[in-house]
Amino acid sequence: MRQPIKNYFKKGDPYILLTTLGLILSLGMVAWLILIILVKGLGIFWPSDLVKLDLKNDKVYMGELWNSTFEKTGDGSGKFKKVAKTQLKIGNRDVYGFDFTWVEDSLIRNKNYPEYATVFERVEYGNLYGFIKSVNIIDNKIESDNDTIFYKCRNTLSYANELKDTSDYLNTEYNDLLAPLNDIQRKISLLKMNEGYLSTKDKRKLEDLQYEEKKVKEEIEPKEILLNEKLNKNRNKLAKLYLLVETADGQQIKLPFENIVKFYQPNRMNVFEKGLQYIGSLWEFVSGDPRESNTEGGVFPAIFGTVMMVILMSIFVVPFGVLAAIYLNEYAKQGPLTRIIRLSVNNLAGVPSIVYGIFGLGFFIYVLGSSIDQFLFADKLPEPTMGTGGILWASLTLALLTLPVVVVATEEGILAVPRANKEGALALGSTKWQMIRRIVLPNAMPGILTGLILAISRGAGEVAPLMITGVVKLAPNLPFDTSFPFFHFDRKFMHLGFHIYDVGFQSPNVEAAIPMVYSTALLLIVVVVLLNLLAIYLRTRLKNKYKSASF
Amino acid sequence: MKEKSISNFRKKAKRTDKIAKGIISLGGFGVILSISAILLFLFYESFPLSFSASITEYLGWNASTKKVLLAGIDRYNEIEYLLDENGKVEFYRIKDQKIFQTDSIILAENEKIISADKGSLNDEIFAVGTNTGRIITAQIKMTPFYSRDERVIKASFAVKAIYSTTDSSTLPEPIYKIQYSKNEEASEYWAWLNNRNELRLRIYDADEEKFYNYNITDQLGNSKTSNFTISTQGDHLIAGTEGGELFWFDLSDIEDVQLKSNWRSSKNTITSLAFLIGDNSLVVGDAKGFLQLWFPVRSSNNEFRFKKIHDFRKHKNEITDIIVSPRNRTFLSIDSAGELHLNYSTTSNTEIEFKPFEYAIKTAAFSPKSDALILLDSKNRVGQFIVDNEHPEVSFETLFGKAWYEGYETPEFVWQSTGGSDEFEPKFSLIPLIFGTLKGTLYAMLFSIPLAILAAIYVSQFAPKKFARIIKPTIEIMAALPSVVIGFLAGLYFSPLFEKHLVTIFIAFIALPLFFLLSVFCWRLIPEAKRRRLPSGADMLFVIPFLIFSFLVAVLLANTVELFFFSGNISQWLYDTLNIHYDQRNSFVVGFALGFAVIPIIFTISEDALSNVPYSLTSASLALGASPWQTVKKIILPAAAGGIFSAVMLGLGRAIGETMIVLMATGNTPIMNLSPFNGFRAMSANIAVEIPEAPVDGTLYRVLFLTAFLLFVFTFLINGVAALIGDRLRKKYARF
Repeated sequence: MRQPIKNYFKKGDPYILLTTLGLILSLGMVAWLILIILVKGLGIFWPSDLVKLDLKNDKVYMGELWNSTFEKTGDGSGKFKKVAKTQLKIGNRDVYGFDFTWVEDSLIRNKNYPEYATVFERVEYGNLYGFIKSVNIIDNKIESDNDTIFYKCRNTLSYANELKDTSDYLNTEYNDLLAPLNDIQRKISLLKMNEGYLSTKDKRKLEDLQYEEKKVKEEIEPKEILLNEKLNKNRNKLAKLYLLVETADGQQIKLPFENIVKFYQPNRMNVFEKGLQYIGSLWEFVSGDPRESNTEGGVFPAIFGTVMMVILMSIFVVPFGVLAAIYLNEYAKQGPLTRIIRLSVNNLAGVPSIVYGIFGLGFFIYVLGSSIDQFLFADKLPEPTMGTGGILWASLTLALLTLPVVVVATEEGILAVPRANKEGALALGSTKWQMIRRIVLPNAMPGILTGLILAISRGAGEVAPLMITGVVKLAPNLPFDTSFPFFHFDRKFMHLGFHIYDVGFQSPNVEAAIPMVYSTALLLIVVVVLLNLLAIYLRTRLKNKYKSASF
Repeated sequence: MKEKSISNFRKKAKRTDKIAKGIISLGGFGVILSISAILLFLFYESFPLSFSASITEYLGWNASTKKVLLAGIDRYNEIEYLLDENGKVEFYRIKDQKIFQTDSIILAENEKIISADKGSLNDEIFAVGTNTGRIITAQIKMTPFYSRDERVIKASFAVKAIYSTTDSSTLPEPIYKIQYSKNEEASEYWAWLNNRNELRLRIYDADEEKFYNYNITDQLGNSKTSNFTISTQGDHLIAGTEGGELFWFDLSDIEDVQLKSNWRSSKNTITSLAFLIGDNSLVVGDAKGFLQLWFPVRSSNNEFRFKKIHDFRKHKNEITDIIVSPRNRTFLSIDSAGELHLNYSTTSNTEIEFKPFEYAIKTAAFSPKSDALILLDSKNRVGQFIVDNEHPEVSFETLFGKAWYEGYETPEFVWQSTGGSDEFEPKFSLIPLIFGTLKGTLYAMLFSIPLAILAAIYVSQFAPKKFARIIKPTIEIMAALPSVVIGFLAGLYFSPLFEKHLVTIFIAFIALPLFFLLSVFCWRLIPEAKRRRLPSGADMLFVIPFLIFSFLVAVLLANTVELFFFSGNISQWLYDTLNIHYDQRNSFVVGFALGFAVIPIIFTISEDALSNVPYSLTSASLALGASPWQTVKKIILPAAAGGIFSAVMLGLGRAIGETMIVLMATGNTPIMNLSPFNGFRAMSANIAVEIPEAPVDGTLYRVLFLTAFLLFVFTFLINGVAALIGDRLRKKYARF
């Protein structure tokens, strides 16, 4: 017996189905988003096979299959044509001028996967796809069968890398050697700028400096010559290590080993080898420096910058957040005023991050930073030192932004401490501070940690306020290094979130850059989600503890 | 001994306690203060926008020269010059009011300068007319030199050209009034009125190195010319008559100067005329003290006609002079009683009204930076004034109302903060930005409120408990998803996808409800008793296939539908038939993307509110025979309404302030329409885009701070309302 329709609606089963619709769609959206990022973010490191397409118009392309689509063309007569097209990443930017090309499937005459097709990841101009013709090792040109030559290339690449390392080392040595001289020369040129108006004291200073310059020059000259010789020798050697590569359409390209990051022949790799290669690429992404205006290479500086900024932020936010929470709960008189304050702190969590950003810019940078420059770095003005965006100001801004999160979470933790414990401590004669230190703080620890973790996950994902307080697309130096004073508060830094925005929206070659952005997005999500899971775990533990204590 | 150590310990403990109390109170209070400092600082930075202008006298002294015709200051306000009727140019150092240099224009015996005019807003180049009919053009340069840290301004004077308007054979024709302009291409324009009341024009074409002479008196009809002016680029000449008529001559074709149009602007004699910077706005002052602003507006037949845009505050007496600022659209109007008004064109505000001297003002000039003013009265009193008028272009009306900008056909809401040239007038209407923010919020809320609340109801009431325990934290984590990731996907993945599959989405919008209805009717096929015994969650599993079908149908039908109904290309069709322009990054995409940010917030908090409804209430309702849905509708929803409301408010707050998603998923064009297929520019994204380029303490900088202040207040209030309601709710149900 079927239920009458009026009754069916009255009892509300259709509405229950409607609520499931809401949930399915919400979850579907989330799953879709995660799936896209997972697939696209992880997919790009997989060494895909190189396909060679012979076209009917006698063009030959070789590259990775990238995308395929149907293009609809209505020819006006009401008839409708579907044209299948394939996008190929053909690389070789220096030869063709572009990385990607679309091919109509109907034009393909022949499609094969040449066994010895090679992918070269290069320092410049992106990937090169082709076949190794010969290797030139110093004065030795080797033409041999494909396997031997591949093997030789492997060895030569590691040799070239050794030479490169030596070069880098020699270069730093060279720079260190010249550093004192450069310093003197900078001072001289500064004085010379106002040559007509120098006081006698300055004139004498100039003479002294010029004398010193001469002396230093004489002193370092023999060493300089020696180093230069070594460097040149190294350079010559490197220049003589190169490959001749033939592209699919028969052009010969000279590829110096110096320019190769790595190379492989995906068509003859098995799944296991590809897996190894994949892990290598993944590691390189996480630990390497960016190349080609951030569209290739790794994101290590961005990870480092994000972590540094977050640490600095935590150092600011945790003590103050905890202080404020303890004050509100233990010392402040509970009344309408504290209620208003608590409400305000709560509401601040909802104030848009860009508002904190503009405050950071206006107050920290233009007011505080500029005044610090006036007092401490007056000799460098008008070039600002602290009066411009930097990691210190960015972390302070984020500390303000995350302060409400920490205060609220800490308060929750403090409130969860059973009253009996606190009163017990006081009854035993402890002072308020002793009670706070021995009873409140240890018990509120999970709450404080939750706050910290939530703050970190918010800080790591926030971009808008950082954009205007010190993040840059490419920072020449990390904010932390081995030169005194180790931590450089004034330096600008790179950030994962900003990296996504910048590479995805402001890079000249967006199409080639997009895969990198997906991977960076995935990395950021993984970090944020892990931190949140940790926070959720701690919160549950806190709740359980509170439950057990109330019995 | 023991007792002592105990008492020592106690003392120490007490001391530490006191110190701790001090530190915590100080720190806690400091934190709270510093938070409120944010609001104060935002206010402090935007507040100067509302300051009215001020003019204060800095110095005053008596000039030794009599009958001064022209005056000027250098850009550092350190020296000034006065030109008198005998051609003498005296340079004063302002700080001690001493003459440090004199030059002169060599005049004939009995020759006197009777008229003078500056030819440029940026250079001190001018032409003077004498009583013997000669026109002499000269230039003064005041250049800074630096020796050590000291700045010394050096002055130089040079006569550039001399021209006799009459032959030596005829009687001299005194030049009663002269107007001069030298434009950026170095072409020069002189116009003058002689004793026979003839208006003559002489043009030097710098390209061809040729002179052109015109007598345009005939074209002015019978009326007597009372005043005239040439625009600084030399494109227009406007002559005013005693009858209150204006005549517009087009000088852009120098070989053929023609009257373009004439019209009546006033009942009284036109006594003063001047073009503002940018050569578009014409200020007209008359004998009764009326002051108007006109600029060309495109009329219906596509021709430009001067139109009256603003009336300014009336002077009590005849307007004798209008001095134009070289920086912005500020100008000074002077009347015969010596009263001055400082006006700003776009706002039509008269910022200041003052009377510096007892006597009438003879000469006045702005400094090159427009921050100082030099005034000379008829008794040779010189006064230097400091003009403090930082943000004249902003008023409550221009920020929140329509303003009529040059080149626009009607008053409009416009945001356009930077332009190509110095003459560009920044347009700071916040309305397009507020509109953009609200538009984005509206689409986001339309999309996410139903989904989130429905999902919350299902998870809290009907879903299997195990399932709910997984779902809730999952969606909570979604709330922490960095917005830059969502924004990036919206801009680079969803927007191209949606553009490509627009028809699929349209069909899905129709197919989804239809298939859902179908599922509702299929669900009824299962007998009620059986349905009640199904495990919870079965309903969801039942609906899923129908949804998948609806999407499949949408995908499969898309091509055919696009071909048959939209002639193969929907965005072209939209444009051709409905005149809708489809932007790739549009409000629909933003609404969808913001949904990712907003749904988790609304879901989590509503779910909390729904599951916190005391179980006793639910049980009572069920026990009385209500169906689960009836219980939800009559008991749980009303009980949790406050919580759901506060969830929606919090979601709203997030949507209003969200920056990265909006920045990346819209085209950021400040346009105002509600179409889901166009983008917008939101307040938050606007701050992010413009603040790095805004000069510190400039108008744009302050307007952006004002925007931030508004955002702060909006979101703070919204969150406050949400929290208060949440609080009340908690109290209401605490007793169950």
